[in-house]
Amino acid sequence: MSGETKDRPTPETVTAWLRDEGIVELEETFPADGDLFLAGLDSMAVMQLVVAAEERFGAVLGPADLAKDRLATPMALARLLEEKRA
Amino acid sequence: MNDHVDVVVIGGGSAGLAAAVTAAREGATVRLLERHGFLGGMGTASLVHTFCGLYLLRKEPDAVLANPGFPSEIAGRMIVATGQGPVRMGRVDVLPQHPVEFVRIADELVAGERSLDVRWHTEVTGASCDADGWEIAWSCRGQAGKTRASAVVDASGDAVLADWIGGSTEMTESPKLQRPAYVFGIQSVEAPGDPLTLAGWLVEGVRAGDLPPTALGLTFRASGRPGESFGTLDLTGAEQQEGYDPLDPICLSRLEVEGRKVASAVVDFLRSRANGWQRAFVSHWPARAGVRESRRWVGESQLTGADILSGRRFEDEIALATWPLELRETAKGAKLRFPEGDRPAGIPLGTLRVKGEDRLFVAGRCLSCDHEAQASIRVMGTCFATGQGAGLAAAMRANGGEMGGVIERLRPVF
Repeated sequence: MSGETKDRPTPETVTAWLRDEGIVELEETFPADGDLFLAGLDSMAVMQLVVAAEERFGAVLGPADLAKDRLATPMALARLLEEKRA
Repeated sequence: MNDHVDVVVIGGGSAGLAAAVTAAREGATVRLLERHGFLGGMGTASLVHTFCGLYLLRKEPDAVLANPGFPSEIAGRMIVATGQGPVRMGRVDVLPQHPVEFVRIADELVAGERSLDVRWHTEVTGASCDADGWEIAWSCRGQAGKTRASAVVDASGDAVLADWIGGSTEMTESPKLQRPAYVFGIQSVEAPGDPLTLAGWLVEGVRAGDLPPTALGLTFRASGRPGESFGTLDLTGAEQQEGYDPLDPICLSRLEVEGRKVASAVVDFLRSRANGWQRAFVSHWPARAGVRESRRWVGESQLTGADILSGRRFEDEIALATWPLELRETAKGAKLRFPEGDRPAGIPLGTLRVKGEDRLFVAGRCLSCDHEAQASIRVMGTCFATGQGAGLAAAMRANGGEMGGVIERLRPVF
């Protein structure tokens, strides 16, 4: 995996990734500004998200990065992941 | 000694408590047999600190109780005891509850019923039924006895009565069986902090090799009492062995040890890292790990996941199921399946009855349903309601009453 180019996080890739990893169950049509917490994201799912984000996007998230509003929508999350890419 | 009562209730968890109190209020003499030294089951012995399934699913902001009678009474008493009302979490309303208050409320409810006699520290060890009714064998350390009863309620959570009468039961195979939860108490948390920040610390701990990967099954919630939090750890149930079997003592033993090990490691870790946790310590262990699903009765009718998801209603319904299917088939958090239009489903009396056993009623998480429906009806708020149904039915049966009267009395109001 380490040799591969990591994907860039966009609202679309982030939504598909959350769904494929089973982190949150999202419909195909889930909007970029949809509320992920209302869709089922919780603290346990956030832990899976942090582990999987490093693998998929090369983004390392620490405790200080995990504010609710930064994770609340695919758009916000894509922005956070882009910022944290190694 | 002529030890004869109208109704024996096996197990004093949320369903058994509701059944025993309801039957006693109906005028029946009741004996409640409970293995611990207090009532409440998952809500006390296993420290599960939220009543789910008490309220209707709805978009409007205020919480509305789904089932009148005992479930509503317990909710009211708990709100008075904790000073905390219902809370909306995502799309569902839940009532935070405190295990210590739950024990006390159960004691008060029992003390209020003169015809209800609770025997703590007692396990049922056998049962038989003839034309005159039941004979239930029980044992306490150093003492064993038998109690005769006209009707029995199996609120054991594990369908224990089936073992002695060759009853028909089902249990989902291990890979799909809902995972268990290990809940423990923590004190001296000066600031509980954002659950997401704590989640971040747990990942850091696992990354650094300071915590085992199982720590990623842990969430925290402040109890509402100063400095106190609960940790809830979802385990796979198959730690260090193949398969999870909640009826296997070896499996259960490993579960308890693993729960304590992970909990200790995590609290030690957070003490050294997380703000507000510097003085935190584990203050109590559960009497037992929280089993979400084990063996169920196969009853006259069987409630299915499709029934819940379509909000199906029944002629003989005695309570409403309002909790979504909360699937915990992995230790990676809950997957919720909501019913169409957020409609409640009816729980038929037939799911509390067993073919050919008209003096037996079942309630709680072991009533007759499939694996998916069990993911809804297992929650305590619903167990109060099915316990109430089984208790009323058992008292009326012992008194020679017709089951039509039970359905009439417990017809849902929504």
